[in-house]
Amino acid sequence: MNAAEAAAAVLEAVPEGLFVASLGTATSALRRASGDGPHLYLGGSMGSALAAAIGVADTRPERGVVALVGDGEVLMRAGVLWSVAGIRPQNLLVAVLENGSYGITGGQRLAVPTAFAEVSAALGLAAASAGSPVEAAERARSLARPGVLVLSVDDPEWPGPSPFVDPPVVRWRFESAATAVAGG
Amino acid sequence: MSWQTTLADALSDGVDVVAWVPDRRLSPVVDALEERVRVRILTSEEACVGYAAGVRAAGGMPAVLFQSSGLGNCLNALGSLAVPYGLAFPIALSMRGTLGEENPSQTLLGKSAAPLLHALGIQTFSVATAEAIPVLVQGALSLARGGRELATLLLEPELDRA
Repeated sequence: MNAAEAAAAVLEAVPEGLFVASLGTATSALRRASGDGPHLYLGGSMGSALAAAIGVADTRPERGVVALVGDGEVLMRAGVLWSVAGIRPQNLLVAVLENGSYGITGGQRLAVPTAFAEVSAALGLAAASAGSPVEAAERARSLARPGVLVLSVDDPEWPGPSPFVDPPVVRWRFESAATAVAGG
Repeated sequence: MSWQTTLADALSDGVDVVAWVPDRRLSPVVDALEERVRVRILTSEEACVGYAAGVRAAGGMPAVLFQSSGLGNCLNALGSLAVPYGLAFPIALSMRGTLGEENPSQTLLGKSAAPLLHALGIQTFSVATAEAIPVLVQGALSLARGGRELATLLLEPELDRA
């Protein structure tokens, strides 16, 4: 499974979701999979995507929220996973693109155990892993919230368009999508 | 009325949620806020800034509270998320390392807090009297909401001596 296929599977499972994508692979994959949909693509701030997603989930409890995050991203501020377990946003899915490497800096290995599902389960979070787009869509749909879905990505090909987004444009589009009244 | 109660009253008029990292001086502020707005205690200052950026992006208005000693932990979230994305909110910094500090490990980051924020283009406003708090908080909220600028309130040690 490549990262764009993984992102597409989660999009299919949470079609009206507000997505927060971490820098690099996750942002490019979500841009490709969603046709540049109005999601919160982060161009930097490594380690802050999951915290931002909790903020979105707290503010829009009526919406499904997905943090699409790289494995290196999560490790940079792993304490935030503890906050997901402490706050327990009932509308938040954490989708971890696990490729075991730092994609945007050239693919250096993480060189740590990538036990995201095990750690999440130990924290009392619903956790699952998926190795194919079909599994990813099915588990993203059925997993309890808050939940952590680990998506095994084994295709090193860069997944989509540039991860260098224009921040004010991203913010304006996301805020419009997040504050839109359903059916309005 | 303590300055902490005054600050809580001012923040509760315009803020939906407060994210903070524990500090002895900020605890009474959070206690007074807890019944009126959502309070989130997070594991790092950077998580507070990331969380607040998400709240703001989704249409809410957060405020962030932590010690000046933790400012260095969140420079990346400020410099590459909150500032460039225009996700602005008030930050109340409980100042360490200035007047009255007796811990040498606190002084350098205390002295550096305002210069670090200024280097990122973030304005700072010194809060040394409780009387000034309502005006400064409302100004910081307007600056964040309309001006899309982060506004930092430096909660000076003099506040405790009034």
